[in-house]
Formats: sequence, structure tokens, C-alpha cells
Amino acid sequence: MRRALRGQPASRGIALGRVRVRHPQALVVSEQRITAEQVPDEILRLHRALDAARAELHGLRERLHGALAQEVGEFLDLHAMILDDPELLHGLDDLVTTGRYSADYALKLQRDRLAAVFEGMHDDYFRSRREDLDHVIGRVHAALQRRGDDAAAGLSGEILVCDAVAPQELAELQSQGVVAVVAASGSPLSHGAILARSLHLPLVLGGGELLSLANDGDALMVDGGTGELVLEPGPADLRRYHRRVAEIGKEQAQLTRLRRQPTRTQDGVDIRLYANAESREDVAEAHSLGADGIGLYRTEFLFLQRRELPTEDEQFLAYRDLVLGMAGRVVTIRTLDLGADKADHSGLALRSEPNPALGLRGVRLSLAHEALFLTQLRAILRASAYGPVRILVPMICCREEMQAVIALLEAARASLLAESAPTGPFVEIGAMIEVPAAALGLPDFIDLVDFVSVGTNDLVQYLLAVDRNHESLASLYTPRHPAMLRLLSELFTYGRRNGIPVAVCGEMAGEPENVPLLLALGLRDFSLHPSTLLEVRRAIRDADHASLRRRAQSLLRAHDRVSIEKWLAR
Amino acid sequence: MLERELQVGNRLGLHARAAAKLVQLLSGFSSQATLTGRGREVNAKSIMGVLLLAAAPGATLVLRVDGDDEAAAMEAAAALFERRFDEDG
Repeated sequence: MRRALRGQPASRGIALGRVRVRHPQALVVSEQRITAEQVPDEILRLHRALDAARAELHGLRERLHGALAQEVGEFLDLHAMILDDPELLHGLDDLVTTGRYSADYALKLQRDRLAAVFEGMHDDYFRSRREDLDHVIGRVHAALQRRGDDAAAGLSGEILVCDAVAPQELAELQSQGVVAVVAASGSPLSHGAILARSLHLPLVLGGGELLSLANDGDALMVDGGTGELVLEPGPADLRRYHRRVAEIGKEQAQLTRLRRQPTRTQDGVDIRLYANAESREDVAEAHSLGADGIGLYRTEFLFLQRRELPTEDEQFLAYRDLVLGMAGRVVTIRTLDLGADKADHSGLALRSEPNPALGLRGVRLSLAHEALFLTQLRAILRASAYGPVRILVPMICCREEMQAVIALLEAARASLLAESAPTGPFVEIGAMIEVPAAALGLPDFIDLVDFVSVGTNDLVQYLLAVDRNHESLASLYTPRHPAMLRLLSELFTYGRRNGIPVAVCGEMAGEPENVPLLLALGLRDFSLHPSTLLEVRRAIRDADHASLRRRAQSLLRAHDRVSIEKWLAR
Repeated sequence: MLERELQVGNRLGLHARAAAKLVQLLSGFSSQATLTGRGREVNAKSIMGVLLLAAAPGATLVLRVDGDDEAAAMEAAAALFERRFDEDG
């Protein structure tokens, strides 16, 4: 029966597929006993499921390549080892043979027993290994539940309907053939949603009822642009679906034509569009879309989800690939931006912090590990011999930090010079403006930088004191706050007066709807993920710069979000 | 049966990658192996077991191996601890 629901749109795109439900706490298994005669068959069923899970992990490992292989591969290797764990396997066999439990219930008992021990641990890192255990058990459980025909189909053409989805799962799901994801919880501003957008994987959040309504195999239509969900769509829905697919195709074709067009407003003002990138794919896309350069290259992926630090040579090769990939266009490399919220695998910030957003993160972490920071700076300087490179320092909050970074950069340069290692003639250095104190205090250190880039995601979080992942605060978190707009306007104006380019590299710059607002405030350098680059270029090409600038005063007089949105609608 | 005290010398402690190395190494021997730390004894050929020790940097563990190739197994495992699991550059 047709059911139409609505969730929160989080990653655009339209999809039609079969539902695959993943219930929270995957193991809702009731106690089931078997007879002595059933034991051999049950053991066989259990081991077939274990083999199927092993084969899945193996297949997944084979399909991974590039940066993803490094990031995700290590998890898969750990999971494969857990599947072969003698303790886990003996326990399972024993529960079936001696305990006369069904394979499913044996799995649940084993999981609960091990999970209880992990949960009792004091160390966050070890405690969170429970997730790995659950992942593996969940995989075996799915294999036990699967009917014969399901196994062959895999997840191809399916839409995952679940309680929550973890960022690191998304790429895996997509590679398995999942065409869209509907998750009951999460925020469109979360890392998961950002990643879904970069993967062009439609994602709708909320629509919580769907989880209880939908069954495996139901047909579901998902519009990630509107949040619309239609279970068992009717003929009219299908016509609409095909119309949307055709529209999207047409729009894509139009946008494709913009690849080689200049980013110039109606009245002839050239705007620079830089790409935010973290993978080789992003860089290739940025290049093919005609980005003016890379405005933000995140180096965390070299460090995250691995247990040892990348060597200088490893980093150098990654940065050199990046520089060569942009063929002479400028590449802005952000130094390591880890914190307790995203460092649990790198080993640098293993200890949990009571308040990670205000803790040892960004440049603070780098300055606390001088040798590590020097290694990264040396690798970047070495890569600068292959093309124009800029260094962007995250989380700067005062002049002293910038001075310390420059001193280390000079030390790195001197050490390379002593080794006669080639470096580029001139490497620019810039500060990322995320901390309100740095935004207000730019005049105090502007003489030390060649450029600045405003990280609006964090700046909004710190300025408004709103965690952007906090579900019940979602309506408070917005860059469309009068204080934020005034701050941005001052930053752009101050930068222009001093001949220092000011870019915006937060999500805000990647939303075409914000283009008139940012142009009015005086922004000339946008840095955004390549996935919306052409749409932002189109919005800029549709804009009249002079008239927007004239309207800036009325925008800055807005007292609330409603007035700002009214201004945008005009 | 051989028994030796070993110290977790790497900076990160006996986390997943180091534990995996130890388990893989010991699984190559036929001898039984157990690891004891903070009063808990686990199968040293089990990744879950070793992770459950949650051995922090500097922790002292007791490795017991018992079997035909116990000397070689002990030597290889002790060397891995000595090398700090090939971490820390």
C-alpha cells in the first residue's frame, strides 16, 4: 500500500529501489532451542553464515582502492580477524552443541557476553571496539537471516532504511550497490551527511515512521533534494520519478556546459572558485570542473583510521600527487586538523576530552607535537617544488600561535636547504578563521599571513555556541545570523583594505542559495566541495555584483534570520 | 611451559593493530598461548581476548606458551614486544 512520508533532505539525488531495513540493535533474537538431532544442521548453518561473512569482507577488501583502501581496509582486516577468532568460534559452537541454542541465539549470547566486557572498560578506545564486534556479528547475523535469493542480489539497487548511519559505512554501502540511505536520526550538518553529498549518495534523515512501516523488499522512492519518501509508489509517483530523473539529467547537461565557462557575474566581476578536497577523486573532479585551485586540502585522511603516523615520504608523495594533479593551479594544504572528536584512531589524541571542541585540536595539537608538525611542514615544502602551494593553519586563535608556526616553517625550510632538498620559490601561509577571537582579532596578526580562509562551520558553532551535530539545536545552527553576517562583512572589508585575500571554505560557500548573500557582503574567493561547484558558478553568473553590493547595507541591518531570508528572497 | 613478563612499550598500548600483529604471529605456532594482565587471563591467539586486556602503554603482561614450538613462539613474541610492535618510528 502506498505511503508518503517526509524526512529532512540531507544529500540530493533521487532514487528508486528495494528497501533493506536495518533495525537498531540489530540483534533482536528471542531464545530458541533446538533438539540434539538438529545440532549438526545448525552448526552447518552457522558456519555457512560465517563463511558468507568472510567472503563478503574479502570481496569488499578487493574492491577498495586508493585512499579509501587505507582508511577502510584496516577496519575490514580487523573484522576478518574477529571472524576467525578462536574464542568467538569455540563459544558459538559450544552454545549450539552443548547449550542447544539456535545459531541466531548463540550469536546474540556471544555478542552480549563480549559486549558487556568491552562496555565495562574505562578506556574509550577499547570501549569503542565494541562497535567492531557489533559490525562483525551483524554481518554474520544478516547472513543467517538471508534467504537464498537475497544473497545473490546483495545490496545492489537497495535503499538502506536504518536508525543511524556512520560516516565510514557510507562508501562501503555505496560500493555494495546501495542507491540511497534513509536514517531516522542524524543531522544534515554531520560529517556523515557531508560525506554522502560528496559521494552523490541520496540521504534523507528522519522519516522515523518508515523504519517501522517498511519491510525488506518493499519498493521505495527517495528524493534526497526534498526529503520526500514514498513507500510502494503508485503509477503517478513513478511518472513523477521518471520526470525528476529526466529533469536532473537535463540540469546536469546544462551544468556540464558550465565547466569551461568563467566564474563571472552579469556585470563582469570575476570570482574565484576553489575546491575543498580530501581524496584523489575530489582533486580530479576539481580539475575537470575548472576550479581555480584547491582552497582546502584536508590532510587528516593520511592520519585517521590508522594506528601509525604517516612518514615524511608518504606525506610528500600524497602532496606531490595533489600538486601535480592540479597542473599549475594553486593548492592550499591545511595542516593536520585533528581533535578528540576525530582522532581516536591516529593515536595523537587517544585520550578523551571533556570538551573536544574547546580542547587540544587543530594547530594546538600540531604545536604540542613539534616533531610531527615539522615532518608535515617539510613534506609540504618538498611538494612545493612541483607547483604553487599555500599552507593553511587551522584553529588559529592568537598572534603567538601564528608566530610559532612561522618559526617552525622557517626551521623546516632551513633543514631542507641544508640537505639541498628542492622546495618551491615561495610558499604562502594563511590562517583559518574559525575561532571568534581570530575573526575579531585579524588586525593583530594580518601582517603575518598571506591569506586567510574563514571556516564558517566552526565559526558559526563557536560564535553561536551551538554544536552543529546537536539534533535538538538544529534550528539554532545557521550562518544566517545577523552577528555572523556582520562579522563576515568586517573580515572581507578588512582583508580587502590590506590586500589580503579572504576566502570562505565552510559548507556555507557551497550552497548556491547563499551566493547572493556572500557576494553582497564582499566575498570574492569561494572554496567548496566540487559536488556543488557548477551550481555555485551558475548562481554567480546569474548575479549582478554591483546591485548586490548596493543592497549590502539593508542586509547588515537585518535583526533576525527571517529578515535575512526575506532579503535573500527578494 | 614457558612464561615471561613482557612490557607494552609502544606509545599507543596494545590497541587493535598491535594486538592483531601479536595474534597473527602466535597463530603461526602450534603451542597454546595465554596472556595475563591485571588479573585477567586471555587466549593470546584471540583478537577479542587480547583487546579485552586493554593493555595501556607501559603495562606489564605475562605471556605463557605451552607446546612443541614454545621456545620459538616465546622468542618471536618477545621480539615483537621489544620492537614495540614496529611502531613509534
